[in-house]
Amino acid sequence: MSAMIEVSGVVYDYPAARALHGVSFEVQAGAVLALVGPNGAGKSTLMRCIAALDVPTEGTIKVAGLDVEADPRGVHAAIGYLPDFFGLYEELSVRKALTYAARSRGVAVGETPAAVEMAAARVQLTDRLEARAGELSRGLKQRLAIAQTIVHQPRVLLLDEPAAGLDPEARRSLSDLILSLARDGMTIVVSSHILAELEDYSTQMLMIRDGAVAGGGVVAAGAGHRDGQRVEVTFADPPLDLAERIAALGVAVEQTTADTALLLLPEGEDDSGLLGKLIGAGLKVRSFQAARKTLEDAYLAEVAR
Amino acid sequence: MNPEFQRNLWLEASPRRIAWAAVSLVLIYGATALVARDSASGPLPAMAGVGGFVFIICGLLWGSRAAGGAVLGEIADRTWDFQRLSALTPWSMTWGKLLGASSLAWICALTGVALMAGLMLVQGQPGALWMLAFLIALALFLQAICLAAALIGVRKARAEGRVARAGGVLWGLIFGLILLLGVAGSSGFQRGAGLSGLSSFLYARGDITWWGQVFPAIAFRTVATLAFAGWGLAGAWRLMRLELQMKNLPVVWPGFLIFLAVFLGGFAYQPGALAAPLLVGALAVALAAYAGAFAEPADRVRLRQFGASAAKGDLARALPLTPAAVIPFILALILVVAAFVVGGAGSMFSQGPDPAQAAALLAFVLRDLAVITLFRFGPRPQRGDFGAVVALALLYAVGGIVGSVISPGVGQALFVPLSIAPWASLASGLAQAAIAWALAWRRIKVPEVR
Repeated sequence: MSAMIEVSGVVYDYPAARALHGVSFEVQAGAVLALVGPNGAGKSTLMRCIAALDVPTEGTIKVAGLDVEADPRGVHAAIGYLPDFFGLYEELSVRKALTYAARSRGVAVGETPAAVEMAAARVQLTDRLEARAGELSRGLKQRLAIAQTIVHQPRVLLLDEPAAGLDPEARRSLSDLILSLARDGMTIVVSSHILAELEDYSTQMLMIRDGAVAGGGVVAAGAGHRDGQRVEVTFADPPLDLAERIAALGVAVEQTTADTALLLLPEGEDDSGLLGKLIGAGLKVRSFQAARKTLEDAYLAEVAR
Repeated sequence: MNPEFQRNLWLEASPRRIAWAAVSLVLIYGATALVARDSASGPLPAMAGVGGFVFIICGLLWGSRAAGGAVLGEIADRTWDFQRLSALTPWSMTWGKLLGASSLAWICALTGVALMAGLMLVQGQPGALWMLAFLIALALFLQAICLAAALIGVRKARAEGRVARAGGVLWGLIFGLILLLGVAGSSGFQRGAGLSGLSSFLYARGDITWWGQVFPAIAFRTVATLAFAGWGLAGAWRLMRLELQMKNLPVVWPGFLIFLAVFLGGFAYQPGALAAPLLVGALAVALAAYAGAFAEPADRVRLRQFGASAAKGDLARALPLTPAAVIPFILALILVVAAFVVGGAGSMFSQGPDPAQAAALLAFVLRDLAVITLFRFGPRPQRGDFGAVVALALLYAVGGIVGSVISPGVGQALFVPLSIAPWASLASGLAQAAIAWALAWRRIKVPEVR
């Protein structure tokens, strides 16, 4: 798979402070990257540099093969970017706001009405097309902002804290939308300092701390964890040497307690085979369920590196 | 239609707003007609007078504010980044904002122009068309420089880590215009600079002699204002390119400076005396260097990149990064040298400054640019402009007093470029410039980042 975003040695200086210290990473096409880190870590600055809105002091960034410094307008055309604090043309109707977004992003006049309808449908705003943007609720404004960002069907979507201030239902809609866009092949970078927000749709994670990449760079995480399926098994009357008994079956043990074990099933292996092995070895299985490695697990693992 | 123009029309010239404006204008003109209905010459002169007032309020003030606000409003509403990411060309963005944001103001202003035109046609006033064209050109000029000033404000604010506000940009513009008109309109400046024709230009009185040719002042002023409006528009377009992250080669700015030197030099021209217009041109572009120094963002990273690229001879990278004050200073230097060549060093000129004095003036310009740099790249860049203005005022005022105490004449010339002792002024100016630039360079070179 080719890299859609290539960041190499990026340094960014504000007048009074250095915000990024030599950040390097790559995002593969079609990935949904969770950009995580505490407030003030440099996530937004990094996003603005990737969006070719700010020029890095040092280093290079390529988006869809285009250098942000050499061809910023090409990068602008290839991406959609929603900043953390966005604004809307509150006096315009949703339809006019989307029409302007489409036309100003190069959608042809004849194709604009269809693009507007499609963007509105994706964010479930079809029934609000004639409403004034200023009259929408916080969640609906967020949807309109995202619709404006995707109306020209960009190849790369950058969302900076998109779920901030949304209620649980709106967050769920946002997750569904991001999953749907990812299925269409869009490369998406989503930043947040709340890991639970990113859990459902992220396939990769990059941790930024104090303006630098923390941990081991881009790692698989959340929905995209691909290094094997994990299974949580609870045993009745577990033997004292539970870990050894399981290991003897050739199963990787990630973690055990007195009566529970977290087992790693190699990619492609059937979990019923594992269950059969455990029962066949005389272990009394009380519960057997898939356990996904959460983004928080990945985050904590990276912190511990 | 240009999407930016269309969006502005949706917001600014909605049917409802147009209806309100129409009602207001009908009431204003109607009331005037009622009051003046018994006048001997009829109500038209009074209505045209009110129309002139409407034009000033709507075309010059409201339109200019709207043009500047077209960018500053986007910043305040947090929609500017969304616009910067659009696929619109810088030119589409520039004219879409300029005419779209001021569309309703133009509709109202043109009613005033129509009434004035009506009166002029009825009375058969000579030069009526020139006058009307001048008013429209003046409105275009003011609106274009307001848009350009707003873009300058946005860039400066970003470099200083703050948000651009309409008040700051507006005050900067008003201060600059008052200063410019004050200097250009003063008889002392016109006498000293050999620009006695400038008054005729500003007030469109009689004829104007420009590069030896005589033109009717009213026509000349209209054409010149249109030309300046064109340059204002070009400036706004170039600044818009920078906002959209595009690079500008130094083409339009030097072009404008040459135009300015030729334009002002034409007023000082006397047959057989080319040195005077050259020196007037030098003075004008030297003043433009100050404007460039204050208008540019205090971006030490950009300045360091320019220095490094220039040192390596990488012109392709260095030219777009060239500080705005460099080109006018070099051009002023070239013009002064040219004046020396055509006039002969030390020779007396029938009017205008002496070349030695002009050279001394340039030395002080070089020092002043260093002082401006020193303050603008200080630890508090937000206060840099004000600090630089205060520092320059103190250097000239206190320096002048100290110099006169030391020795009236020569002593004073050490601190102010004076015609009494131009060579002393030149030597002192160069020495001060060297010290000030050494200090400024230290500030640029040392990163303040953690």
